[in-house]
Amino acid sequence: GSRVSVTIHVEGMTCSSCVHSIEGRISTFDGVHNISVSLDKKEARVQFDPRRTTAEQLREGIEDMGFDATLPTNFV
Amino acid sequence: MATQKHVFNVEMTCEGCSGAVTRVLNKLGDKVAKFDVDLAQKKVVIESALSSDELLETLKKTGKETTYVGQEN
Repeated sequence: GSRVSVTIHVEGMTCSSCVHSIEGRISTFDGVHNISVSLDKKEARVQFDPRRTTAEQLREGIEDMGFDATLPTNFV
Repeated sequence: MATQKHVFNVEMTCEGCSGAVTRVLNKLGDKVAKFDVDLAQKKVVIESALSSDELLETLKKTGKETTYVGQEN
């Protein structure tokens, strides 16, 4: 299938447990192929199928979990 | 509006976790009268008119292990 990659900026993670929560939950979303979250860089890199989900839905998913999530300004 | 105090155990390990719980509860706005997040005891007490099931759903959104303990007076 087709895949798109987006790096979402995430504020509010302070330990590896936060990282695991996000990876665990977002990886179950429909259309998500792969997610890797970096605590140091405060970002989540997500590979997804644009026909099944959108970057905005992924951002909302992280936001719903109680973190500040922002898409890169240049993302279309 | 009649509110009840519900107690939950939430598997929180750091301030990021308790901060996340605080934020999802804040998003409920008026539907939650008062809440207290206790990181050390891994306990969350919520005073709300919402049912324990609705509150449990909200807490589970954080992706953390959550169990309902019961009501508190």
